[in-house]
Amino acid sequence: MLGKLLKHEFRATGRVMLPVLGVLVFLTLLFNLSVRFIATTDSTLLRVLFALVIFSFVAGIIAAEIIALVLMINRFYKNLLGEEGYLMHTLPVNVHELVWSKIIVSFVWFTVLNLLIVLLIGCSALLLSGSDLAEVFLDFPEWSEIWQALREVGLYPRHFVLLALEYLLLIVIGGVASCLHFYAAMALGHSFANHKGLLSVVFFIGISMFFNILGSMLGATGMDNIEALFLSADDALSTVRSMQTVMGAAAGWELLQAALLYAATVLGLKRWLNLA
Amino acid sequence: MEAILTCKQLCKCYGSVQALDSVDLTVAPGRVVGLLGPNGSGKTTLIKLANGLLTPTSGEILIADKAPGPETKRLVSYLPDKQYLPAWMSVKQMMDFFADFYADFDRAKAAEMLERLGIKETMHIREMSKGTREKAQLIMVMSRQAQLYLLDEPIGGVDPATRDYILDTIIRNYNPEASVVISTHLISDVEPVLDDVIFINGGRVVLQSSVDEIREAHGMSVDSYFREVFKC
Repeated sequence: MLGKLLKHEFRATGRVMLPVLGVLVFLTLLFNLSVRFIATTDSTLLRVLFALVIFSFVAGIIAAEIIALVLMINRFYKNLLGEEGYLMHTLPVNVHELVWSKIIVSFVWFTVLNLLIVLLIGCSALLLSGSDLAEVFLDFPEWSEIWQALREVGLYPRHFVLLALEYLLLIVIGGVASCLHFYAAMALGHSFANHKGLLSVVFFIGISMFFNILGSMLGATGMDNIEALFLSADDALSTVRSMQTVMGAAAGWELLQAALLYAATVLGLKRWLNLA
Repeated sequence: MEAILTCKQLCKCYGSVQALDSVDLTVAPGRVVGLLGPNGSGKTTLIKLANGLLTPTSGEILIADKAPGPETKRLVSYLPDKQYLPAWMSVKQMMDFFADFYADFDRAKAAEMLERLGIKETMHIREMSKGTREKAQLIMVMSRQAQLYLLDEPIGGVDPATRDYILDTIIRNYNPEASVVISTHLISDVEPVLDDVIFINGGRVVLQSSVDEIREAHGMSVDSYFREVFKC
């Protein structure tokens, strides 16, 4: 049933996110065309227009992120805690499937949006610099020398691949934990009879404070260990291994937060559901 | 005959407020049951508990001998007293949704009923009037071949013509082997379609009987008897 929930969740969110992505692509094209054709003009009017295009491009990127965030919050609130909740919570699915469908779809949209933004900015930079930037990057004369030097100190691409994978894992778990922070706050806030919205905000702040305090308590011990770890690293390989350990610990911390927030969300929706 | 809905010493409290107090009742298959009581008597709470939208404080509620969960939700077709269909959906998307999640959803039957009301598949829920939305919701719910229909205030707040349409749709379309529980305080309107009644007041079941028994024992209609029992 998760597949069916995902299908309908993508249908519900796609009607907002696809036009947003389309507008971003359009603004990038507009920005690139403006740089090529009107940036160097002497006309005041065209210069004002150029400034407006740059402003729209930047504002468009910020607006797209805000829209994605509001959509994530609104879908959870309206679909699971508002009147649509009477439909969703009486489907023959369990609460875990409902929550995962929201997490997965939000995560996918944020990933697509951020990748598109990076791609559009990257493409713009490449286009504007002509072919120079690409050539500089690809024909970077020192690449082979750098790899050779790394090999000599015992570092091979696999070490960096592992580091990159750990970083990716950290981003994924961190993204899921961020979604769950909002979901848990709303699920707990809406378990009360009155002031559900206000209580959701209170829970959001309370959860943030709880993790900040817990994080700084763990961090105080952790920082000493990290410092000791790096100080004891006497060669390049052990430095990279120390980085991997730190990255793993950070992923573990995010995972702990995600697990606690997931449990709070499920508990709120399963045991204390209180639809208006 | 195995009961489709059973409550055993069912209690539900909202903080210090006792919404249901030691409710014991059974609903047999193939019956149309009126869950009758004044506003705030616990009707909606009982129906929400049966749908797994609330958790009992104590006691048990069972659908075909199982606690509410994904398995029982396959058996129950529920009409809440809310407009619960997503406003952005078109009628076609709404039917896709029901067909995807409920194996017992009869799409052809739903399409036919909607067409009879002049509701096109391309129409969006947000474009419908309140009355049309309520009819569309009812059509979705009654197009399932469920074992238990739980209808919460299906005729509350609608005009008499719509009321007739709703009751007619319920009676014409429910699965004859299934049970229908209709919660309402508009007794005279639903009385002609009921087999049994459950009177509920202050969270307690005060009477569970067949309509015929009430008429024979008290020599009056259910509506008149209700007025006597709940006289202020």
